[in-house]
Amino acid sequence: MELRFLHFYPDLMSLYGSWGNLALLRRHLEDLGNTVTVEEIRPDQEACLEHADFIFMGAGTERSQKAALADFSRFGDEMRRAADSGVTMLFCGTAMQLLGQSITDAAGKYFMGVRVGTFSSTQGKKRFVGDVYGHTDLYQSPVVGFMNSCTLISGVVTPLATDLSMGFGNEQEHGPEGFRKNNVFASELTGPILVKNPPLMRKVIAAIYDHRGEALPETLPTYPMEEESYRIACRELKARAEKP
Amino acid sequence: MKKFLAILVCKLGHFIGGFVGKGSSMPGKFALKICPYILRQVTLPPYIIAVTGSNGKTSTVEMIAAILRSEGKNVVYNEEGSNQIEGVTTTVLTHSTFGGVMKADVLLIESDERYAAHSFKFFHPTHFVVTNLYRDQLTRNGHPEWVFDALQPAMFPETRLILNADDPLSSCFGVGRDNVVRFGLDRCSLSTEEPSGAYHDGAYCPVCKSPMEYRYYHFNHIGAYHCENCGFVRPDSVDYTATDLDLEEGLLTIDGALTIHLAFRSIYNVYNILAAYAVCRECGVSAERIGKVVNNYILKNGRMVRFLLGAHHGMLLTSKHENSIAYDTNLRFVRSTEDPCTVVIIVDAVSRKYYTSETSWLWDIDFGQLNCEHVEKVLLCGQYASDLAVRFSFTDVPQEKIELHPDITEACASLKERGAEDVYVLTCFSDRDKLLSQVEKEAV
Repeated sequence: MELRFLHFYPDLMSLYGSWGNLALLRRHLEDLGNTVTVEEIRPDQEACLEHADFIFMGAGTERSQKAALADFSRFGDEMRRAADSGVTMLFCGTAMQLLGQSITDAAGKYFMGVRVGTFSSTQGKKRFVGDVYGHTDLYQSPVVGFMNSCTLISGVVTPLATDLSMGFGNEQEHGPEGFRKNNVFASELTGPILVKNPPLMRKVIAAIYDHRGEALPETLPTYPMEEESYRIACRELKARAEKP
Repeated sequence: MKKFLAILVCKLGHFIGGFVGKGSSMPGKFALKICPYILRQVTLPPYIIAVTGSNGKTSTVEMIAAILRSEGKNVVYNEEGSNQIEGVTTTVLTHSTFGGVMKADVLLIESDERYAAHSFKFFHPTHFVVTNLYRDQLTRNGHPEWVFDALQPAMFPETRLILNADDPLSSCFGVGRDNVVRFGLDRCSLSTEEPSGAYHDGAYCPVCKSPMEYRYYHFNHIGAYHCENCGFVRPDSVDYTATDLDLEEGLLTIDGALTIHLAFRSIYNVYNILAAYAVCRECGVSAERIGKVVNNYILKNGRMVRFLLGAHHGMLLTSKHENSIAYDTNLRFVRSTEDPCTVVIIVDAVSRKYYTSETSWLWDIDFGQLNCEHVEKVLLCGQYASDLAVRFSFTDVPQEKIELHPDITEACASLKERGAEDVYVLTCFSDRDKLLSQVEKEAV
């Protein structure tokens, strides 16, 4: 297949190695024989979301996030249409908040989101920081990552991680984390979440194939180093989570 | 009475702590319990210099102390590295008379970025040096703008700020205020037209978030920036300037007159020297005096260690984990060497102070710099060797040069048995002893 990726705000929203998600996803899809083109979109640049196979935005600071939102608002209608039609998306870190109804910053200023989801984000002066070990109803194996956020997100009905044995979720410790709707994946977990979670990578790839109406090859390439990293992270974080 | 008691308890606590090897913050903590306002009641020296920033604090503080001491000044600083309010209290009270007068000409404080506002609640620095604000320890700090906001309340109007003009974010502390001096590096042989690094934190203006332009870069997003939208700009002339720099020859010229030979030919060292130079000049030390002290100055803080491993001569370049610019700078240094070498990267414990399995910072490091002919092998070591391997698969470093050794002891043994090329080891405080216990240290 010829696959078209849209990468929103590659410099503005680029904290915590978010770019690793896009780079690794591209490699895996190319290994399956696909051609991938990535269109980078910066503020004020034109973009057509129709016929996109994957839409991505990485994490940014709270100030960068507002600058991104000021531009991204113009894509609200297209984003909702794309999400409803099953386009695969990944929004990482503070980018997740853009998908909701609204963001209220630490000074109480209100910003309207693009309303793919019905949740609202409230930023504060305290950061919730720590390793995360949890579970999802997408697959059996654990979700691993790191939470670093100053935001409480309320009103998520369909989270990405359904419960956490360790760490902060959207609203509370051990609570659900992230957001999912059709093929839209979003998480406040920082950094290269797809690199850290090979099972989630496989779900994203399956979603891209599914949206195109194509069947995934029966045997997929293996990536021993990625699996080993995941194995170690799961082992270490599980031990930590179970520590009395 | 409370003041006397607090000082007594602090001095005693510090004395006993010295025997039992306990940290330096506990005596100050007790003293603050007895007398919460003790720091307001002590007579402090005329110069109170604070140094903060993501990178280079310890080295800069060490050089400032060396320069001021060479002038015969009695400098007291928190050498033991405890840089929050309790540690500062210990430092102040253990160097005070029982009547509450500090016996020093200069109080020099390496200050934690996030806690500076709290540390300086009871007294304000006369001079505040900000070396830089980079991506550093997201597990504690979040991101650089978060640290900026935490630090802002400690930038008191009467405090003279000494800022790195070439770093856009820390330079923002000077926007809209007086009492600021800046240090910076002019365009030089290592300046480039394009930024380096795995990300570009200078792409957008830190003041208004419009796209920012650069006339040149020195490294990463450090250079001569300007924003067309709001006018935020690296000033054309700064107060203390490195007017020429030749890292190959190891020569730094400050303000067109003072030439300094660099013991360690790294851009890092240059900025630390510049920061120390700027604040010492502000305290009335002559350029010549500073030149004499920092010329060929070898840091004593052990961030760089030479060692022998079998027939290999090695150099440990301490690079803070979770700090991509610290790594990038050391990788650039390795790239600038010419003789064939092996590079060892160890990521085993991300931090020595807290547990985390967080490795996203590896994606912020420009490991591609090791793609050069004289780097013959790259050994990826420690528990997170496989995370490093995945990251390296996105560089142009040929896969046949890369070896994986999760076991650090085994990696050292394997190196010892073969070859005699130079070895550079990049790792953090949390992991460096795992190497140092396997090698024979050499005098620097």
